Amino acid sequence: MFKLVTPLTLILAATLLYACGGSSSQTAMIATSTAHGTLAVNPPFRIASLDAATFQAELAATSSGAQLLQITGKPSCGVDFYYLKFWTVGGAAETTQSSGALMVPTGAAPACSGLRPIVLYAHGTNTDKALNIADITNTSNTEGVLIAAMFAAQGFIVVAPNYAGYDISTLGYHPFLNAEQQSGEMIDILTAARTALPKTQSAATSDGGKLFVTGYSEGGHVAMATQRALEASGAVITAAAPMSGPYALEAFGDAIFFGSVNIGSTVFAPLLSTSYQKAYGNIYGTPADLYSATYVSGIETLLPSFTPIDKIFSTGLLPQTAAFDSTTPGSPPLSAELAALLLVPTDPHYPLPASPLTPLFAAGFGSPNLVNNSYRVSYALDAASNPDGAIPLPPLRAGVPLAATVPTQPLRQALYKNDLRNGAWKPNSPTLLCGGGSDPTVFFPVNTGVMATFWSPLVAAGLITVLDVSGTPAGPFAATQTGFQASQAAQLAYYESPAGGGLSPAAAQLLLIEGYHGAVAPFCAAAARAFFSVL
Amino acid sequence: MTTFSVRTLFAVVVATASLYGAAPALADDFPSNSARAGLYSVFFHVKADDLTGPYVPHGANIDANNVETLYLAYVRSLSPNFDVELTLGYPPLQKTVGKGPATLGSVPYNGQVIATARWLAPTVLFEYVFFDQNSKWRPYIGVGVNYTNFYDRNSTAQGNAASGGPTKLSLTASVGPAGTVGVGYHIANNWHMYASYSISKVSTDLTAETAGVIRTSHINFGPQALVVSLGYSF
Repeated sequence: MFKLVTPLTLILAATLLYACGGSSSQTAMIATSTAHGTLAVNPPFRIASLDAATFQAELAATSSGAQLLQITGKPSCGVDFYYLKFWTVGGAAETTQSSGALMVPTGAAPACSGLRPIVLYAHGTNTDKALNIADITNTSNTEGVLIAAMFAAQGFIVVAPNYAGYDISTLGYHPFLNAEQQSGEMIDILTAARTALPKTQSAATSDGGKLFVTGYSEGGHVAMATQRALEASGAVITAAAPMSGPYALEAFGDAIFFGSVNIGSTVFAPLLSTSYQKAYGNIYGTPADLYSATYVSGIETLLPSFTPIDKIFSTGLLPQTAAFDSTTPGSPPLSAELAALLLVPTDPHYPLPASPLTPLFAAGFGSPNLVNNSYRVSYALDAASNPDGAIPLPPLRAGVPLAATVPTQPLRQALYKNDLRNGAWKPNSPTLLCGGGSDPTVFFPVNTGVMATFWSPLVAAGLITVLDVSGTPAGPFAATQTGFQASQAAQLAYYESPAGGGLSPAAAQLLLIEGYHGAVAPFCAAAARAFFSVL
Repeated sequence: MTTFSVRTLFAVVVATASLYGAAPALADDFPSNSARAGLYSVFFHVKADDLTGPYVPHGANIDANNVETLYLAYVRSLSPNFDVELTLGYPPLQKTVGKGPATLGSVPYNGQVIATARWLAPTVLFEYVFFDQNSKWRPYIGVGVNYTNFYDRNSTAQGNAASGGPTKLSLTASVGPAGTVGVGYHIANNWHMYASYSISKVSTDLTAETAGVIRTSHINFGPQALVVSLGYSF
């Protein structure tokens, strides 16, 4: 027995030794700190690595990608797409993990490696809770593709958060248009990205020190708030280019409540009210104070959602356009002027002149509708008694200031707080304000126009550049304006053609304006890149 | 899993020992122990599930390169026609290669060595040996149990590039049936030459973790081995 067992035992012992002593390669370090700005996983995960030729080929393989290539130009650099996880703070000061993208240019060309500028980008409103702007493999990630092609593939390091409330974030809401939270999150991901850069597989590319801040739509507001916060902290920003953002939130809110209902209002409303309710706690006692009985159930957790927005509409969880009641509020008694302002914009007694957007504004009324008349009236009374300098009716007050005193109506008070005129801040760094003059989603005159007018007496000449891509082509961005307008003309012709549905000119024009806000984005991004490239 | 598998093997060994204890005594003029060493050529016929997990393109799979290593075995004769063999190859450096898309993004994948590991695969075989002990040639057949443990698992630089960063690999240990056919040739005195062909079932669950991103696959290696060895009886 001894002679047999001994060699077998030795071999078994060797097996156990190997099993216990086995090792494997190291993976990323998980941060123990949850302090805001901490990179949670270092090095970050690289989702994809595309060289310039592959990226170009993948873009050219789809019609939308091919159109984008015409605006962005061919990629000069490859791009490595990293998935950042970092710690930040929510709208009610909650410690929370968030995620985002670090896109690093790669390649042998001098403009693709070494010391490169950083573009800190804030994305537009997205209803998809699973949004991951770093995931270039997801075909629905159009904004990720846009910024990769526009900036990263041309030598800019791109840093972009998904925002708290999206992707891996466990925050049960999104701090939508919360200037303090969103600017803080932008700064946190910038800090995390700077930590990550030396550890990536693209370490040949590093932070060159130039910092550009930009973003579109909701992200335009975020970008401007971030510019304000960075400048307040003493950080040096090379330039900023907020695009099509709702900067003058009080004025914008007043315009909407007075009947100029923007496209997307029924989506923005629950995002906004929940964000501000979480941050300030006073938007309503219960959601039923604000929302009609038809839609109030589950409204606080409705968006962002894993359910596609079309299904949310089709299953009756939200109205597609009817934000307000088509029956004009009858109580409490209102002044004739205010009562008229609450009419449907197509009503002959509505005081503002008709515009091409009037049919779209009127579509914001219906039954059933989203917002209770009582809440709308309370807002309107506050706006009428303590008007914004830019709204509602001419003459505007000089300098288009905020309301003279802090509003008392809670939602308007929150908009006042997050309006970027608040605090009389003005940019210290070169700033391009790009948008489209006919934007039916984020009104250009009420936001970009108001900020430009507000800042005009406060900043040195030339510091602020305003670009309306629908304007008459002129100046350094004439080609961008010409390109956008040609694109719109081609799209209109397509809608009227048999292939595009053979729509009547009026129907085609309506469809064009409905897609206008999204159509502006790549052209403004191209303008921003041109603006950054000379600094 | 590993603990259970080792226990299983240990039970087999104990059973073997018990069998030895109950076995009839062998003829005095034939040694009952043999040590063998030789060349161990392993050919894999891998069938693996496509890798699953986040950011894995369709059809990303893996394969294993064939290896050659040192064959070591201890054989105990239980009776004139029954042997028990414990085989142990010197743990080779096993290379795993990508199979599927030529590139993942722009990172080369198909045919690239993406990981290495060493394996230790002790196998217990119960063999029936034909003819009597005086025969010059003695064919044999056997069945048994294989235990495979993987260690020194490393994702290569190419594997890290394809996976998205430094990657930690784990492979569960495997226990499966094994079979062999072979022939022994008596050279002189206590020396014999052997040649054999063996198959075994070796399967494992692969887990690859890259910065918190987990990808998995189930792999059947389907190893077949050709062995040429020299044995000394004592």
